[in-house]
Amino acid sequence: MRSMRLGVVLAAVGSVLLAACGGGSTSSGASNAADVTATLRAANWGGNPTENALVKKYEADFMTAYPKIKITQEEIPTNFEDKIKTEMSANNEPDAMYVSTALMNFAAPAGRLLDLTPLMSKWGVSADEYIPTLMTPWQLNGKQLALPKDFGDLVLFYNKSMFSAAGLSTPTSWDDIKADAKKLTTGTVKGLSLPADAARFDAFLLGFGGNVLSSDKTKAVLNSQQAQDALSYYSSFQLQDKSSALPDTLGATWPGDAFGKQKAAMVIEGGWLIPYMHDTYPTVQYGSIKLPKFPVKQSSLLFTNGWGCSAKTKNPDACMIFVKYMTGKVVQQQVLQSGFALPSRKDLGSDPAITANPDVKNLFDSATFATAWTFGPHESKINDAQNAALQSVLLGKSDVKTALDKAEADATAALSGG
Amino acid sequence: MAVTVAPNAPAVTAKGSRRKRGGMAIAERRAGLLFVTPYLLYFLILQLAALAFAIWVSFHHYDLLALDNPWVGLRNYARLTVNQDFLIAMRNTTEYAVVVVILQTVFALLLAVLLDSKIKGRNFFRSTWYTPSIASSVVISMVFLYVYHPTGLLNSILGLVGIHTSEAYLESTTWALPALMFLAIWTTAPTFMLMFLAALQDIPKEVYEAAAVDGASGVRKLFSITIPLLRPIIFLVVSLGIIGCFQVFDQMFIMTSGGPLKATLSVALLIYDNLFHDVGTVGVACAEAIVLGLVIFALTLISRRVIDTKIEY
Repeated sequence: MRSMRLGVVLAAVGSVLLAACGGGSTSSGASNAADVTATLRAANWGGNPTENALVKKYEADFMTAYPKIKITQEEIPTNFEDKIKTEMSANNEPDAMYVSTALMNFAAPAGRLLDLTPLMSKWGVSADEYIPTLMTPWQLNGKQLALPKDFGDLVLFYNKSMFSAAGLSTPTSWDDIKADAKKLTTGTVKGLSLPADAARFDAFLLGFGGNVLSSDKTKAVLNSQQAQDALSYYSSFQLQDKSSALPDTLGATWPGDAFGKQKAAMVIEGGWLIPYMHDTYPTVQYGSIKLPKFPVKQSSLLFTNGWGCSAKTKNPDACMIFVKYMTGKVVQQQVLQSGFALPSRKDLGSDPAITANPDVKNLFDSATFATAWTFGPHESKINDAQNAALQSVLLGKSDVKTALDKAEADATAALSGG
Repeated sequence: MAVTVAPNAPAVTAKGSRRKRGGMAIAERRAGLLFVTPYLLYFLILQLAALAFAIWVSFHHYDLLALDNPWVGLRNYARLTVNQDFLIAMRNTTEYAVVVVILQTVFALLLAVLLDSKIKGRNFFRSTWYTPSIASSVVISMVFLYVYHPTGLLNSILGLVGIHTSEAYLESTTWALPALMFLAIWTTAPTFMLMFLAALQDIPKEVYEAAAVDGASGVRKLFSITIPLLRPIIFLVVSLGIIGCFQVFDQMFIMTSGGPLKATLSVALLIYDNLFHDVGTVGVACAEAIVLGLVIFALTLISRRVIDTKIEY
């Protein structure tokens, strides 16, 4: 789920004024990026060896471009946010770090992330360079606390050979998907695999006009009529039509696995499915469509990560220059080519790696109507409440209304710090 | 432990040279203090001070990153009584502890009695049966993820004997907790087997011989001699079992994250979640930890009352 990846720029360097400040660790006087001197600790999630190696490479490239700034990579292979939180509470956090929405949720309200807004104008970074829906997750009280380094979102993937064997054409609406799923279900093979996971269901919830939290984010609205309709629809594939099954029922660990094993003809997943299929199930022929319009609107979920700086860093300028590089065009182009994640930058939308690949293009274009999947400081318990509702409905232990009433009560309790 | 026999210093020597030893005693005490210092520091700073801090935090609305953590008195404790997650976690943990402690104690005792008899190749069994206890619980948890997978080892073996199932044990509200119980018993029983084995070898052969003369059967000997004489070690095993079970964390953390539907949510895992995965709930986490500590303390006292009573022959 956590698709932490990289990104970025090497835009032209700022002005050519003489630097006022040479060595030392303070860089506040320098106005030419090449003259900023500092040593920065930069933490990244290192759980994926390939991604970790890429970060190492980008950081080495950065040090070549800015020889006066030394980067010490701190890779945190697991429980990234827990470690950073502990370091922050001991005032020993790295200067620069991956900022996930989870990290943003606890660090931003506590004022522990550096406001990048003034530094962006100082070092020539414009908010317009990035896809707007990817900038909002990092904003609080008018401050920009991180810049998006990449993103993933959801589209519908379908198995081309199974579709043509059943004489079906590419679906274009939810009615198509529902009918096709029934036709594709035979024996142990299901038309679709919808998991008991809020990170999939919430696309339906939003598309049906519902939401997880009220607009002021003070209470949960999970048992609204829209939410009930959305969950009734989501569960109807499995419970009424029998055209969907949970991944583990299909002998798979996640929907993508069921899709690769051709146990499910359709899944709703993100860009991470593409390299996974390439590496694990290279022979499966598949295509994708953007999630069709739900009754109220078209929707998808955005999962994004950024780079940000500690509010306590002694080298804010150097950190901004680093963040600018890591979220800039040079790095993001490489991210795109590595197939790891989608670039957060508008200017890469016309890159051949996107335009020449319809699946990647669907993913990239879905960002315009997708919503960032994040719910504030009590997110973890809110998602527990949502997942519990999904599980109890899909496991047949509860009806939709009862499950959502409980989810709303649990999420509301979490919001009040219970 | 019952196995260790501390040699008593002969009293005469101590009496005979009191004055001289007075000077020695100070030096010895200093040396003794010096030797304990590393552990003492560790204990005072990392355990006692941490415990005191946790108690202090449990009376506050506390967050790791907040500047202001207001005093809330007993609110964190009061809320535990209505906190669904805590009640579920307590119930799961208790269920887990009861089953695991009983089964692992019985199992360990049986293994020990078996290995104490003169069966063929007992040295081989002693080493192999102990193997599960050597590996770290994290490693074992990772391995068991594959054992319990729908297409994993367990289902494959069941398939061989004609039971074809694709049950996802760790995704099932019925099977997830028992699956973790089995794993715990399998891993810890051998350690306790070793303790029982050591204690068994301490029981004087004469007692058994006398019983044999009286015509006691093997089973009678087990229940009338072995088990009563093992009481102190049974108490130790049960106490360690209770402590370990109530603190269970690794398996849940790695294998299930407390799911499905909180079926494997343990108190320790809930404490971790409140510490790191929410904001402003560190005080709640500390209150939970203190309550958990008190529960363990009380249960240990009770088990001492029940098991570790003096027996007379």
